Amino acid sequence: MMAQAQVSLAGRERRFALTLFLPAFVVLLITTTFPIVYLIWNSFFRLNLSMPWRSGFAGFGNYVRMAGDARFWHSLELTAIYTVCTVTLQVLLGLGLALLVTRIRKGQALLRVVSILPIVLAPVVVGLFWRTLVLSPDFGVADFATAALGFGHPNWLGDPGLALIAVIAIHTWQWTPFVFMVLLASLASLPPDVYEAARIDRANAWQRFWHITLPLIRPAIVIVVILRMTIALSAFAALFAATGGGPGTATEILNLYAYRMSFNELSLGYGSALAVVLLVITLIVSFLMFSLRRQR
Amino acid sequence: MKDDRRTSHPQSTINSGRRRALKQGAVLGAAAIGAPWVMRHAHAADLGAYQQSKINWRQAEGQSITVAVIPASYFQNLISITPEFEALTGIKVRYDKVPPGQIRQKAILDLTSKTGTYATHAADPMYYPLYVSNKWIDPLDRYLNDDKLTDPKWFDYDDIIKGWREADSLNGKPYGMPYDGEVTVQVYRKDLYDVKGLKPADTLEDFVKNAAAINDPGHRIWGCALRGFAGAGQNMYIYPSIFREFGGDWMSGGQVQVNGPKAVEALDWYISVLSKYAPSAVRNWNWPDIADAFSQGTLGVYIDANSSATVLNNPAKSKVIGKIGYARWPKGPSGKRVTSIWNWGFPINGALSEKAKRATWLFITWAASLETQVRTSWKFSGSTKRPGVNRTSLWRNPDFTKVMSKNGYHFVEASLESLEHDTDVDWRPRVPQWPAIGDIMATEIQAALVGQKQAKQALDEAQTRINGVMKKS
Repeated sequence: MMAQAQVSLAGRERRFALTLFLPAFVVLLITTTFPIVYLIWNSFFRLNLSMPWRSGFAGFGNYVRMAGDARFWHSLELTAIYTVCTVTLQVLLGLGLALLVTRIRKGQALLRVVSILPIVLAPVVVGLFWRTLVLSPDFGVADFATAALGFGHPNWLGDPGLALIAVIAIHTWQWTPFVFMVLLASLASLPPDVYEAARIDRANAWQRFWHITLPLIRPAIVIVVILRMTIALSAFAALFAATGGGPGTATEILNLYAYRMSFNELSLGYGSALAVVLLVITLIVSFLMFSLRRQR
Repeated sequence: MKDDRRTSHPQSTINSGRRRALKQGAVLGAAAIGAPWVMRHAHAADLGAYQQSKINWRQAEGQSITVAVIPASYFQNLISITPEFEALTGIKVRYDKVPPGQIRQKAILDLTSKTGTYATHAADPMYYPLYVSNKWIDPLDRYLNDDKLTDPKWFDYDDIIKGWREADSLNGKPYGMPYDGEVTVQVYRKDLYDVKGLKPADTLEDFVKNAAAINDPGHRIWGCALRGFAGAGQNMYIYPSIFREFGGDWMSGGQVQVNGPKAVEALDWYISVLSKYAPSAVRNWNWPDIADAFSQGTLGVYIDANSSATVLNNPAKSKVIGKIGYARWPKGPSGKRVTSIWNWGFPINGALSEKAKRATWLFITWAASLETQVRTSWKFSGSTKRPGVNRTSLWRNPDFTKVMSKNGYHFVEASLESLEHDTDVDWRPRVPQWPAIGDIMATEIQAALVGQKQAKQALDEAQTRINGVMKKS
């Protein structure tokens, strides 16, 4: 009797939980799952709005076409360079800043507020700001600096080689504070007694960092790297506003190529296939990173 | 914003009092936000000029249409006086303001899905071949030739600028009705030219010479600028004129050809003049960037839309007011001057019901009519008197020229002569695949400009990609 009542109580609980959960689940289904399924579906079709009469099932045609598309491979390469460079720089700079700031006793709060500013700016604003006010040759702030230092007038966004460096710098500028804040929080939570013990054992600063600090904040670093990688892989707005993928195709990462293909050339089928490839890459990378986290 | 409020006013009572209610709503809304000029309009709408047309303006009364436009002042003026149209016809108009970067995609999505969401939209003239090949829009001749729908004498279609009519037509049939447009012209620093004894360039060679004479980066003044940023509406807005002036032809044997010798010459000219006499930032500049640089007094000349005059004459930003001169495109080696045929026209969505199509046509003719053009231009009570009127007779009207000549020396003359003599309907390849072609060309032109590739190599690669687009996709 008693057990039965408990079961039905548990059942009621479950039903109640389900009703609470269902609306959110449906919304999620409509807003994320459905578009992804539809994207994958589209990627198997010849779907070009400028030539609708040629629309039809293409099977793996779009993916086969990709293999021979030099611009696709180029964009893939850029995506890899962009992601690896921005994430590495962000983690190194963010960690360095965090280690530095954690020693400051007074005014930490102010530094935290200041450092959050780039994050809260809309990426499009960041892109336009850097494009017109900072990096524009002969007119931008960076130009005055380089000219004063005797480096001349580099055309940051107009030179194919420099443009890639410039967009990496922009992304790093905007997101290093994020890494900094997470790592600062995690440094603040480290137990002081371990360090005291290490000091008694005469461990020097480098040893303390390498053998204590780093292993202790490793989970935070891994999470930050995962988050930053997925965001960097799908970076769009700031790049779009700053260079639009140019000059030529010098900063055209996969995401921008998919956009240009879908919405400028109106080739939605091929554009979807490109986006699916990006999705798969992002999934694989996150999976690898998570499994790295589970080790040990 | 205030107009969104008015146009979305709940349509609660469908009766004779509705208009009054709407009008009151508009007045209240406007007064609340503090825009008294809307109030004047709502009260004193004089519809006499429209009623001289021998058609029944009220034949589609009760219809409700949605129009997509871009958030630009020339459409804002039209939106402001739309209560007059609603009073005249009893048709309700709702506007959807879509940024220029998305309006094409949104319109295409609507047209492909045949939902008829937008009865009409501000259309890019380059998209008519695509629209027409899919039969998404109606040819307008059947509306123009129907005396129940159009009073030919009153509407006077032939008064609309010829180049724009042709740009919005295909195979001799009109598909869009030009509302506002522009031409590309030379915009130069008259004061600097006068000091050096220069005249605005008559040929592309002169253009280079003038740029060389003015260029003095040490004193922060550069010879010239042209749009360098990649995009169908950016560098591919300027290059086509140069290409045509060099004698280039987009179509060869029914195929789009972009890598012929004339194309290479044209691209080499563009790259050479910009590399020598433009600030190096020009590689990433679109028209607002160029207009800003010019209004800061750092450019001798640039070629761009005459409509950027409004920016150059903004007293809050510009240092060159009163020093600006305008001239037609310099002649190319072929002896031709080729300007843009850009205009925002209104097509009729083919997916609409017959009655809604009639309502849309009434809206389109109202917007394109001489009277509305006047009321949204120099008679407009707000501060921006739009310069892009669609009628030759208006460009010759002394009232119009008086207002517009404030834009600078020879503004009206240069614009009108360009409109009359330099428009070229084939300045860009008019094929349904234009969206892809425009983007491919834009990318390759910029790649050549920044030195990623030689001109010939860039155009060859563009040709390969275009061949791919035309064949499969």
